[in-house]
Amino acid sequence: MAQTSNKPDLRTPGGFNAQIDNGMGAMLGRLTRDRSVVRMLVLLVAAFAFFTLLRPSIFLNPLNLENIAVSAPEIGILAIAMMLAMLTGGIDLSVVAIANFTAITITTLYAGLAAGNPGQANSLLPLILLLGLALAAVAGWFNGFLIGVIGITPILATLATMQILNGIAVVWTGGQTLYGAPESLSVIAKTTIAGVPVLFLFFLLIAVVVAVLVNVTPLGLKLQLQGANPVAARYSGIGSRGVLTSTYVTSGLLGGLAGIVFIARNPTASADYGSSYVLLVIVIAVLGGTNPAGGFATVAGVVLATLTLQVVSSGFNALRLSAYEYSIAQGVILIAVMVADQMRFRARRRKRDLQPPVPAAPETQGKS
Amino acid sequence: MTSSNPPTGQPGVPVLEVRNISKSYGGAKALEGVSLALQAGHVHCLAGENGCGKSTLIKIISGAERPDGGEIFIDGKPHPFMTPSQAIKEGIQVIYQDFSLFPNLTVAENIVLTSVVAKRSKVFSAGKNRPAAERIVKELGLTLDLDKDVERLSVADKQLTAICRALVSEARVIIMDEPTTALTHSEVARLFGIVRKLQDRGVALVFVSHKLEEALQVSQDLTILRNGIHVVSGPTTGFDRRSLIKHMTGRAVNETRLITSPQLEERPVLSVRSLSVSGAFHDVSFDLHRGEILGITGLLGSGRSEIAESLFGVLPADSGTVEVEGKTVRVRSIDDAIRAGIGYVPEDRLTQGLFLEKSIADNIIAGSVDKHRRGPVLLDSKKVSSSIRRLFDQLRIKAPNVLAPVRSLSGGNAQRVVLAKWLANQPKVLMLNGPTVGVDVGSKEEILAVLREQAGNGMGVLVISDDVPELVTVCNRVLIVRQGSVIDILEGDGVNGTAIEELMAA
Amino acid sequence: MSETRTLPRASGLARFKGANNEGVLALVLVVLIIGMTIISPSFFSVGTFFAILRSSIVPLVFALAVLIVIISGGIDVSFAAIAIFAAYTAVKLTGSGNFDPGLIAIVLFACLIGALLGLVNGAVIARFRLSTLIVTLGTQGIFRGLLVAYIGSRYIADLPGSMSAVSTSNLISLEGGGANAYLHVLVVPVVLLCVLIALMLRRTMFGRGIYALGGDMEAARRAGFSVVRIQIALYVLAGVLAALAGVFHVILGRNANPQDLVGTELDIIAAVVLGGASIFGGRGSVLGTVLGVLLVQLINNSLILVGVPTAWQRTAVGVLLVIGVGIQAISAKRESKRVLVNDEVKE
Repeated sequence: MAQTSNKPDLRTPGGFNAQIDNGMGAMLGRLTRDRSVVRMLVLLVAAFAFFTLLRPSIFLNPLNLENIAVSAPEIGILAIAMMLAMLTGGIDLSVVAIANFTAITITTLYAGLAAGNPGQANSLLPLILLLGLALAAVAGWFNGFLIGVIGITPILATLATMQILNGIAVVWTGGQTLYGAPESLSVIAKTTIAGVPVLFLFFLLIAVVVAVLVNVTPLGLKLQLQGANPVAARYSGIGSRGVLTSTYVTSGLLGGLAGIVFIARNPTASADYGSSYVLLVIVIAVLGGTNPAGGFATVAGVVLATLTLQVVSSGFNALRLSAYEYSIAQGVILIAVMVADQMRFRARRRKRDLQPPVPAAPETQGKS
Repeated sequence: MTSSNPPTGQPGVPVLEVRNISKSYGGAKALEGVSLALQAGHVHCLAGENGCGKSTLIKIISGAERPDGGEIFIDGKPHPFMTPSQAIKEGIQVIYQDFSLFPNLTVAENIVLTSVVAKRSKVFSAGKNRPAAERIVKELGLTLDLDKDVERLSVADKQLTAICRALVSEARVIIMDEPTTALTHSEVARLFGIVRKLQDRGVALVFVSHKLEEALQVSQDLTILRNGIHVVSGPTTGFDRRSLIKHMTGRAVNETRLITSPQLEERPVLSVRSLSVSGAFHDVSFDLHRGEILGITGLLGSGRSEIAESLFGVLPADSGTVEVEGKTVRVRSIDDAIRAGIGYVPEDRLTQGLFLEKSIADNIIAGSVDKHRRGPVLLDSKKVSSSIRRLFDQLRIKAPNVLAPVRSLSGGNAQRVVLAKWLANQPKVLMLNGPTVGVDVGSKEEILAVLREQAGNGMGVLVISDDVPELVTVCNRVLIVRQGSVIDILEGDGVNGTAIEELMAA
Repeated sequence: MSETRTLPRASGLARFKGANNEGVLALVLVVLIIGMTIISPSFFSVGTFFAILRSSIVPLVFALAVLIVIISGGIDVSFAAIAIFAAYTAVKLTGSGNFDPGLIAIVLFACLIGALLGLVNGAVIARFRLSTLIVTLGTQGIFRGLLVAYIGSRYIADLPGSMSAVSTSNLISLEGGGANAYLHVLVVPVVLLCVLIALMLRRTMFGRGIYALGGDMEAARRAGFSVVRIQIALYVLAGVLAALAGVFHVILGRNANPQDLVGTELDIIAAVVLGGASIFGGRGSVLGTVLGVLLVQLINNSLILVGVPTAWQRTAVGVLLVIGVGIQAISAKRESKRVLVNDEVKE
């Protein structure tokens, strides 16, 4: 427990009070947060430096940097959704399907209206977007219902939702790619503020909102506790139904927002878009310090992990490596991070445990 | 008591001996220089308070844990350390306190599987192994359904299955860790009968029990541990209840009652009438007044815990009424209970009570998150900090800071955190199940003092426990539960150790 | 002794239900078959039956691999990647059909690769005690990436002669009367595998160890089971089974395509879970798994017959999963209440 540097002395009452008055943000799971965020920062810088050294001309090209900033948001938002589900000890395999479903809904509605009356379609666009998000929320609620009320394990419940949505999407689109997504979205996506793409700012905004939700709201605290130990949460009067439903509605909504980013970046929609994202998004969440067994996660870590993976992806491009090599890298990173965490966890526990190991709390073994 | 004489004679080479065993977890020493010698045909009682190192010693002997130092000898031959399968092969069997059964397998399989593993057999035949299971069940005079999955058994039947499993193989050393917590007198008597038969056969036994009378009755040798240190060993005949307690706690016998007799109000704070949960308990009625500490006791599986769980909404009642301060409340969920002003410190602190990896601060606030809102969405961080600070100080939790994870705390401090969580909610009735299990002696007294203090402030306190001295020390009245019904309520001088022990296992 | 105390109607039903709801599943199958026959009389024919069996060959072998992992308390999503890795590599090494070492050598080689890849899973999971889902998600990406990036990305249309000979062999061929029915010869090894795995699970200590692991890992350790060794061995076995499924897939499809199979993992897991295996470990049977796979295949087949577009199959499997697992979850809640009932008064 190396936590001496940046904190007041907590042993004296004054220091203790000062610390606690720093507010909830400072208080909740500070140790783990600092560690994973710092680690991610180091990794991000290292990855950036590595590819810059290898291919400076291609990698430092402003176009390349802009590309990273524009392609990161959709993945990052999905990763934040995954992080939320993992924070409660679950997993959401359906986020990508929800995103596609939203994108398809919006594209179909808009294209249908625009065929008759383009002006009307544009004026109704906000409504169409809201409808898409509402559907995403409903899909999320369905997950929450299956998990929180019926009691199905998250992996199976979200797997089923994914299958159902995916099937509907395939039928609906006939397996084809849809064109005719709202152009105004594409226009917005192309604008930049002070050189930063609007999409990227949108991503940061969402990250901040979720960070606030997780850290300084009653729901966020309950969500963390639910993930840390669902039984103790129940015995503390934390209603798992409400917490899980809110969590999966939120992750569904985030999926919907990612769907909107999909069509803003690329005005097409299809049922199979981003089929490799599920693995990628889990890799990012875990790399960003999310404990897949629940209870611990940081939004900042996930944002940094998103950027790191995007840097790696674009670096692989610069090195002319294929998508398959990138997928190998993802798998290796995922397992390496888990192994490193596990070894550190064991070492730490050995060092400071005053109690015999608790058999009732098996580590991360088993399924989420 | 002396009638069950040990097979006297040459204490030859011990079947199993450990010398100078040390083991520490992190900075804390669990065992330091502990030695133990088991003679064939003897029952060796291993005694000590909770957390004294008994379980650690058992785990080391059974190969589940590796000692940091010391030696293990079997038949005089040294074994630096053992693995579980080695221990089983050497004929060491353990009846674990938590049973360690396979919930998804049948009783018959649970009984025989360990011995088949030890034989290093590659194949398994349910049919061929069944007679062995049948034989042991018959020998013990039990009525276990061999084909039933263990997860569907009652607690007592699970304990009996665990006992059968240890006895079925030709073990030379059998370690029984609290084997009677769920058993009635007649079952205990039958178990002791078997123990005597095993002794005659030359098996060495270790018997761990917090029921001192039982331990004194069955054993010939005795070893007492305190805080991981070997206090004393010797023949059982040299000890009695009084000296045993003195060695275990390191202080003179203290079973005096430390209760105040509060001026009871007319109206009870909690009034329970004819409460029933099908299959768990039935027709339970009692009153609890402000300022009173009421004990509920009985064997494991008697329904004592279920009564509390029902009042807390974990196990909604089928019939009966519950009144809090004269108002009828319907407790269908934990939420209902908390809203009615009922709090519950659960039995299994580590899984039900605490968020081990989370900070003390998070744990303290966990039960009252919604009471610390500011506006519709946000937490009131000032209020949160002041609540945490107040309770952290009030309960004198010993920790470097409130951000330390609860896992790093000792049992006593961890239990204070659970208490703090409930006090943050200011319940009218606080129920505590096994409030001092796994807590060191000093903390135990402090926790009981907190309970008295809370009662003194007007809370109604319900203590569910099978720790008889604790009940005697702290409870104004004690409810005895047997087979799901309240069979007696002890009051005043009636609250004494022998009466309680006699009644609960009758 | 407390049999009588459980709900009165449960005891009679319980026997029919079987340990893992196999009875219920069989009943659902029968009802479905009857229903389909009424809707479309042509459904009830040997041809349909054989077709369903043929379409079950590959999923069933996969399902066996998934079953043993699920019983042990884990979950594996890398099996499809292992399967196509092993099968494609084996075919590729025959010089894309130019060199034929014989069927047995090809199968053995594929199994060896499957075992090695399974070993990677098992070693990481057992050594570091990590979440099995996350580990196999990672290895899935790695295996698939390695295959396409370094071994081959091209579709191979020419199988070695010994393999393509099997492709066209039928065990039973009924021709004439306008309705031809063929039972593919690969049904034989699949049946054999089912019997072997069932025997392994029930009659060997390895099999009991897998159940013990899924029931309570700590208790398994205390009982003397070598938890690490069992875990590694079972992932190796799952890898071998996956490799076999991959070879069967290649034989049936008469080509080797590195892009195949990946993406079908979830259907298989759904079938195994529908077959009564508990995602929490410790429960599951070969019989239930066979029924689960047949049910999924039957439904897929029926949808086509009733004229529902094949695209709906994914949705149908999803809905089926929700219903199946939902019922399990709800009855598990009831069960936990019933256990309490047994806590009653001992006489």
